[in-house]
Amino acid sequence: MSAARDEILQALRNNRPTPENHPLPPVRTLGDLDASRERFIASLKILGGDVLEPVEGETLDQAIMRRHPDAKVICSNVPEAKGTLPVEKVKTPQDAATIDVTVVRAPFGIAEMGSIFLSESQLPINSFAHLGQHIVVVLSPDSITANMHTAYQERPEFKSANYGVLMSGPSATADIQGVLIRGAQGVRSLSVWFA
Amino acid sequence: MKIGLFIPCYIDAFYPEAGIATLELLEKLGQDVEYPLDQTCCGQPMGNSGCNSDAAAAEALFVRNFAKYDKIVMPSGSCTHHVRDNFDAIPQTDEVRHVRENTYELVEFLHDILKVDAFPWAEFNHTVGLHNSCGTLRALRTASMSELGEKPFSKPMDLLSKVKGIRFVTPKRPDECCGFGGTFSVTEEAVSAKMGVDKVRDHYQAGADYIVSADSSCVMHQQGCAERAGVPIRFIHIAQILNGAAE
Amino acid sequence: MSNKPVNHARAAEHFLEDAPHLQFHDERLWDMRQKRDGQMHMLPEWQDLREEASRIKEHTLSRLPEYLEQFEENAKKNGIHVHWARDGAEHNRIVGEILKAHNARNLIKSKSMVTEECDMRPYLEKQGVTVTETDLGERIQQLDDQLPSHIVVPAVHKLTSDVAKIFAKDYHTDPNIRDPHLLAEAQRQAARPVILHADAGMTGGNFVVAETGTFVVCTNEGNADLSATVPNLHIATIGIERLVPRMADLGVFIRLLSRSALGSPITQYTTHFRGPQKGGEMHVVLVDNGRSARLGMEDFWTSLKCIRCGACMNTCPVYRRSGGLSYGAVYSGPIGAIIDPTFNERKYSTLPYASTLNGSCTNVCPVKINIHEQLYKWRRVLVQHHEMPFVKREIMHMAGKLMGQPKMYRAAIKMTEVSLGSMPRFVLYNWLNPWGKHRENPHPVKQTFNDWYRKNREKAKPAAASETKK
Ligand code: SF4
Repeated sequence: MSAARDEILQALRNNRPTPENHPLPPVRTLGDLDASRERFIASLKILGGDVLEPVEGETLDQAIMRRHPDAKVICSNVPEAKGTLPVEKVKTPQDAATIDVTVVRAPFGIAEMGSIFLSESQLPINSFAHLGQHIVVVLSPDSITANMHTAYQERPEFKSANYGVLMSGPSATADIQGVLIRGAQGVRSLSVWFA
Repeated sequence: MKIGLFIPCYIDAFYPEAGIATLELLEKLGQDVEYPLDQTCCGQPMGNSGCNSDAAAAEALFVRNFAKYDKIVMPSGSCTHHVRDNFDAIPQTDEVRHVRENTYELVEFLHDILKVDAFPWAEFNHTVGLHNSCGTLRALRTASMSELGEKPFSKPMDLLSKVKGIRFVTPKRPDECCGFGGTFSVTEEAVSAKMGVDKVRDHYQAGADYIVSADSSCVMHQQGCAERAGVPIRFIHIAQILNGAAE
Repeated sequence: MSNKPVNHARAAEHFLEDAPHLQFHDERLWDMRQKRDGQMHMLPEWQDLREEASRIKEHTLSRLPEYLEQFEENAKKNGIHVHWARDGAEHNRIVGEILKAHNARNLIKSKSMVTEECDMRPYLEKQGVTVTETDLGERIQQLDDQLPSHIVVPAVHKLTSDVAKIFAKDYHTDPNIRDPHLLAEAQRQAARPVILHADAGMTGGNFVVAETGTFVVCTNEGNADLSATVPNLHIATIGIERLVPRMADLGVFIRLLSRSALGSPITQYTTHFRGPQKGGEMHVVLVDNGRSARLGMEDFWTSLKCIRCGACMNTCPVYRRSGGLSYGAVYSGPIGAIIDPTFNERKYSTLPYASTLNGSCTNVCPVKINIHEQLYKWRRVLVQHHEMPFVKREIMHMAGKLMGQPKMYRAAIKMTEVSLGSMPRFVLYNWLNPWGKHRENPHPVKQTFNDWYRKNREKAKPAAASETKK
């Protein structure tokens, strides 16, 4: 194994173009720096996500029931919602498969893409974000960053999480005759609840 | 300024009227133009096929013919592209460099060097679609390309819009290659012909009576495709319109 | 593997005979190109992004050994097992051994072109491992026993009816289904139990960050996340050219990738793996398979900048009208035509000729690879290496000679039929014959331009005439 390693590295050393001719460009922040909730929502909708707007006086649990009236198993990993299944019951990756709606909090979102970030710190188990049928994401409007440049430069989670996913709307595919289908293999819908 | 006129082989043999129009047009514009009789080819077919060493004789002859001129003008984007960007089968002497740096495609020459602002003799009462060959579009950059999202510009359009009576239509895929591609037209004939017929149909459906181009090689191919498929559209070199052809 | 040159032209001709498939294929990919343009127009900084991406990649490639070592060190610190594979066989052996050590018999995987390069599936299947592709398009191709025809949309050459037929066989669905939603749902239902019972998951990697030991996987279906988070064993196969130095560099690449590929701002899932999940194990296999040699090819090393977005394929007028399978290679389209010959020069010697050199690919490429110039240069290399068919080579040789001799050239044109030196005439005609298959020949003229000039201008200028005569 180390023979392969040494051989590859040696070949690369022998063959590479002159490093001095290719200096590393400094990190740049390009593009629109609008970090507003409005921009985030517009982007989220383009990618098929949606906002869960509270109807007057409604709790998150009530809003979820309104959005997903057929849901039987709701599992929340946030204090804002109780759900129906205590999150402690989800112990193995496979346990998440029976859930209709998972509820999580994202530490930040990205306005340019309508993306939300999730890592093992927000999930009882990583598959929690994917095996459920639907996901509801709680996001503070104050923790929206403008675009991909600002996200990667400012958010420490990218350097600390072992597993970090940017979800931009629900799972999707257009692999059959170009028809866009939401809810391919992962979650069928993604809704954001601002709080 | 002494101008050497290069007429590519397929114009010489199949579209002499495009060559004549180029010469007459330059003369009308008061230019001192000469056509060296011993010219053949710029070397492009060999170069494009990868047989670069076989382009040496043609390139050497080209330099012998044209080194004495201040500017070399040709009614062909693809030949200009070869001379300017790929003409390296022979040693790069000062003479060769002079030739390469002073070779112009006709539209660029009219637009950038002579800066012609009127063609008072020209009137063309037809609806035309402009075909920019890939050589003019992406190598010589005589028009903006859709791939880059740049501010639109078009040197051939600038010139054509000075012609009385002319109307323009834009096909759905204005930048799509027509599929000629030199020996590609023979070695990949099925794809080439399909690209050609798609191209002429696109222009026809946009309402064009004529396809106008600065490259007769594309035209030779497109015309063959249109005739076989029965697409009733005509073809003309941009030099002919600018020189005052009525049809 | 046979060394016979791929007959792209013939395969393309075959593809062109099926009008419904052809029309869909061309329009679907053109639509992706249009959507990419739409995204570009929304970002005034688009060309800056391309330039940044290109420079970051060129820098990284020039310091690839150092960045690979940095990645390895950080990844190991995070608990990732890092392996190195010189070629496909070594890669397959490594993966096979990891699976064996865990007694893993069911592997689910997301799309990875490197595993296609390595021809991994048959190898593992021989060892008793069941490999299931979880990307819908890739799964369709697996069930149909075909290579992916496109690096982003592997089954783009198929219609709904084709998929219905394939699923009917394996998923026992109705072969007459014409609603893609029903077929996608059938895939979801069929894949779930396989995912839940998988022993191991495999992904590729779009980007690798040296600074943190992270690798990034981009998908729309979320199937890579399912493959990596449900089983506790995650193996990632990654080409050694995928490195970027800094986390912040991802900002540039993520902004370009999906916009270039599909014309969507970002893939639905952009996942950063920096270490194993709780109770899990993570392996990264870094694969060379010809890349280190390519880095030494002066005219072609920049092809290693490729981020596999497929934009060059979507825009390619030849690819759209010939289909990915006509390239007979793992990589098709313009990018395929410039990297396939590095895997097997003879077999893929025809691919650099499957192009008109129109240059559209180069100008959509998010990392500014000069694809069409490399196609041009490959032709030179292939001719130097004697990989051009004899007849064409001879014709070019004769033509080149003739073009250097104006008197003979004139004589040849005058004879109204071009006879090239000692080339037997029937050979030339046979070679030129295809022109007339779907196209009329150019019309003969009474007088060449040269004749016209002699008659109409030279007489008026006798001095000039004698000057040009030798
Ligand atoms: S060569 Fe460029 S355009 Fe083609 S797949 Fe690679 S990155 Fe994309």
